[in-house]
Amino acid sequence: MIEIKDLTKKYGDKIVLKNINLQFNKGKVYGIVGENGAGKTTLFRCISGLEKYDGEIKSELNPLKNYIGLLLTNPYFFTRITGREYLQLLCNARKIKIEDFEKQNIFNLPLNQYASTYSTGMKKKLAITAILLQKNKVFILDEPYNGVDIQSNLIITELILELKKLNKTLIISSHIFSTLNDTCDEIHLLEKGELIKTVQKEDFKKLEEEMKTTAIGNKVKKMNLK
Amino acid sequence: MKEYFNLQIKLIGRKFREIGLHPILAIILLMVALIALSIYAYKKTEFAPYILSFLALSFIMKLSEVKRNEFLKTIFKSNEHIKIRIIENLILTIPFLIILLFFYSYFEASLLLLISIIFAIKSMKSDYKFTIPTPYFKKPFEFTIGFRKTFYLIPLAYILTVISISVNNFNLGIFSFLLVFVVYFSYYFKPEEEYFVWSFDANPKSFLLYKIKTALMQSTYFVLPIALTLSYFYLSEILLVLLFLIIGYTFLIFFIVAKYSTYPDEIGIVQGIILALSIFFPPILLMIIPLLFNQSQKRLNYLLQ
Repeated sequence: MIEIKDLTKKYGDKIVLKNINLQFNKGKVYGIVGENGAGKTTLFRCISGLEKYDGEIKSELNPLKNYIGLLLTNPYFFTRITGREYLQLLCNARKIKIEDFEKQNIFNLPLNQYASTYSTGMKKKLAITAILLQKNKVFILDEPYNGVDIQSNLIITELILELKKLNKTLIISSHIFSTLNDTCDEIHLLEKGELIKTVQKEDFKKLEEEMKTTAIGNKVKKMNLK
Repeated sequence: MKEYFNLQIKLIGRKFREIGLHPILAIILLMVALIALSIYAYKKTEFAPYILSFLALSFIMKLSEVKRNEFLKTIFKSNEHIKIRIIENLILTIPFLIILLFFYSYFEASLLLLISIIFAIKSMKSDYKFTIPTPYFKKPFEFTIGFRKTFYLIPLAYILTVISISVNNFNLGIFSFLLVFVVYFSYYFKPEEEYFVWSFDANPKSFLLYKIKTALMQSTYFVLPIALTLSYFYLSEILLVLLFLIIGYTFLIFFIVAKYSTYPDEIGIVQGIILALSIFFPPILLMIIPLLFNQSQKRLNYLLQ
């Protein structure tokens, strides 16, 4: 379990996250939604220990960061490192010994090719494979579906559901509401750094409608397209 | 085009300021260092013009990176793009050309000039997707990537070792030996993304020890054959070879702890000064390394609790 109490994050005078209180349990999938700049990525970085913050993040996993598989929105790849070596690097980092990566190469990635030459979707799939091989207990996935083809989207959804069955904790952000609808048990809505709403599965449709209305409003009409 | 070069001057200025140097002072220091290195190289070895040309080409290669050139192509007309590339390469090459001409290395100077113009005109893009094999694939990433970037320097060092034996020049042998170490040091110049430190299931101390152990092990692959060859052919100098081996390893450790002592920032002017002092008096490293090790632990604490 991860418990966040009164989490506040500031960059200089700018408050990016304000008094966030959340709880993430084992065997559950949590969605974090909000506009660009709402604070989703910052929240993920705080939970992972990549950012300093005010407040408290508690967990029975100690240190929490060693149990987290973090998928960044735009995973970074060194130039001249192959897919296989990237997997090896991240497995070595967590002292996981794997001899044959080909067996678990479920996205059929060209592992002997430099990862920096991969397409956006392939890079994301490689990063996902790496954190899965690390056998983490908590998964923080920042936009896992971004740039990924439809077939792989389906695999990612299946993976998330399988991890849930294995009693892992999953925290996901996505701009594609349907993917959250398929996977999440609970969705938290962030707005300008504040947690404004928590919605249970039965109310996801309502939340989607509300978000559509707020997001679109009469903005398109204002453009006066002709 | 003028705006482009003004922007480049601004960017270079920012880079120097980031490491705590005024741009004009930095350029003067670089020029002095280049002149000093050239004089030293010309005094010590007949391969000086090749060393200088290699150095110039490594800078030119940086400017010829595919992504950078494709970006320039998209924003400038094709003739303007080529003009910019030629001017850029010439600005970089001219100091080296002056030195080569000063030391009467006319052939090397002409070759360097020609190559720098070819690199400006020809795109380095290749559809040939070839992965350079490396013996370091089991423990990425520093040596894995570094080897692929600088792989051509290793055979060069080995050729120098062979030449040193055939002409009975021990100093050249030591130079080839140190060349491999210098190549290894370059693998630790830049800090990696925080994610790759954060990922480690280790505290700062064990993380640093792991990095040092890996570096010492992996550096041995190519250093040891040269050390053994030199020891065999110059048996009377075996202690000197051993001494240089120890110094090489010690500097390698220095570069690792220096890198993390400023992490996530790049190595700064202070570490540069320490390095300069250590080159003149290596035993100082025995004091400096533990200090930088402690400093590194503190700098890594926020990622590796």
